[in-house]
Amino acid sequence: MTLLEISNLKKSFDNNEVLKGIDLKVNKGDVVSILGPSGSGKTTLLRCINFLEKPDGGHLSFEGKEYDLSKISKSDISSIRKDTGFVFQGYNLFANKNVLENVTLGLTSARHVPKKQADEKALEVLKKVGMDGYKDYYPSQLSGGQQQRVAIARALATDPGIIYFDEPTSALDPELTSEVLEVMRELASEGMTMIVVTHEMGFAKEVSSHVVFMADGRVIEEGNSKEFFDDPKEERTREFLRLTEH
Amino acid sequence: MFNAQTLELLISSFPKILVYGLKVSLPLALTAFVLSTFIAVLVATVQYAEVPVFRQICRFYIWIIRGTPLLVQLMVAFYGLPLFGINANPFLVAIIVFSICEGAYSAETMRAAMEAVPAGQLEAGYCVGMSYIQIMWHIILPQAFRTAFPSLFNALISMVKDTSLASSITVVEMFTRTKQIAGQSYNYFPLYIEVAAIYLIFCTVLTFVQKRGEKRLGNYGIRK
Repeated sequence: MTLLEISNLKKSFDNNEVLKGIDLKVNKGDVVSILGPSGSGKTTLLRCINFLEKPDGGHLSFEGKEYDLSKISKSDISSIRKDTGFVFQGYNLFANKNVLENVTLGLTSARHVPKKQADEKALEVLKKVGMDGYKDYYPSQLSGGQQQRVAIARALATDPGIIYFDEPTSALDPELTSEVLEVMRELASEGMTMIVVTHEMGFAKEVSSHVVFMADGRVIEEGNSKEFFDDPKEERTREFLRLTEH
Repeated sequence: MFNAQTLELLISSFPKILVYGLKVSLPLALTAFVLSTFIAVLVATVQYAEVPVFRQICRFYIWIIRGTPLLVQLMVAFYGLPLFGINANPFLVAIIVFSICEGAYSAETMRAAMEAVPAGQLEAGYCVGMSYIQIMWHIILPQAFRTAFPSLFNALISMVKDTSLASSITVVEMFTRTKQIAGQSYNYFPLYIEVAAIYLIFCTVLTFVQKRGEKRLGNYGIRK
């Protein structure tokens, strides 16, 4: 079942065309890894489909509803966002809120869920990421890996249909990276639909069901992970995989 | 100069001066501080949110107020308001002028503090479904207020002393009262030292309150 489909998504910053017409289809339960060299537009793509950047044009179909991206309304943006989660490279936890409040705020303020109910939900998702013992800590008291796990719990708390991950481990050392990837691996195995912009080849290969390779604002190649890594079709893809092999 | 007579004068005048500090100077400064903080948050938010037209109005307000002396603003209001048929009492005029004046400076403090909150937190707020106003209220303003707090208190301490300017529009505050007593006794120097000491006491207490306030507001787990 198709959850999200974008076609001909375009985005320019001034005269620099960063996305030159992207098509992407994500089914329910898919884990899509977006790979590609720096500056290929991966992050911009993710930010455009959650409207942190305003797309210039294109079409979006999300959960059965159709949207014209060049003139999408504020209320449509807000309703799409309410059913998506986003995990940032830099965590972006609310510095003035403790771990529990970071997770509950999306429920209590944006969705008017009663505090008690929100707390229960928050503890449940914090437990899932192994951070339930830190509910009273402030972000500044946590390691990067811990902060990112809280950020994942925050994204999970609102029961989104899909979670976008924007290079979730790029700011972490290898040890902390593995604790975050472990959580993501578990979500994937539970059937959570995810789009992950990543440089973690191992994750893309082993966890994701689908890989999209981008370069210069275009999708160069895509396919299921096994095919993509075992038998890349495009020369540009082969070159990228050669360079990232070690 | 420091004879028994002077000492007696200092002791007898102390409560007379102090009472004007507690009845006029401090209430003037504190009320104006509260009002100016409201103005500051409003003006800073309009600029931070880049509200068209209102933003230009806010810049214009800050430009005028920061570009003219408080003393002149007091005079303009005191002599100008009656021309529009408004006969407010001088104490009220002083409160309004102090609030508007301090509001312009504090607005810039608040704006800087709001801009210091990492933009990623705003984005994260959007991503969990919060509206701009909810993000402002729960995330941006509390952090900005914490950052701005010492500077805002700085302004309050400064204003406590600036209340003496209100004497120029006939408000009898602590300093004016001191001048009156000094004039009657022809003994100026000790009385001015005395009033200086009272201002110092007020500001020392406020410094203490600031410290307590900072502690109370906390620092979100950041160790100093």
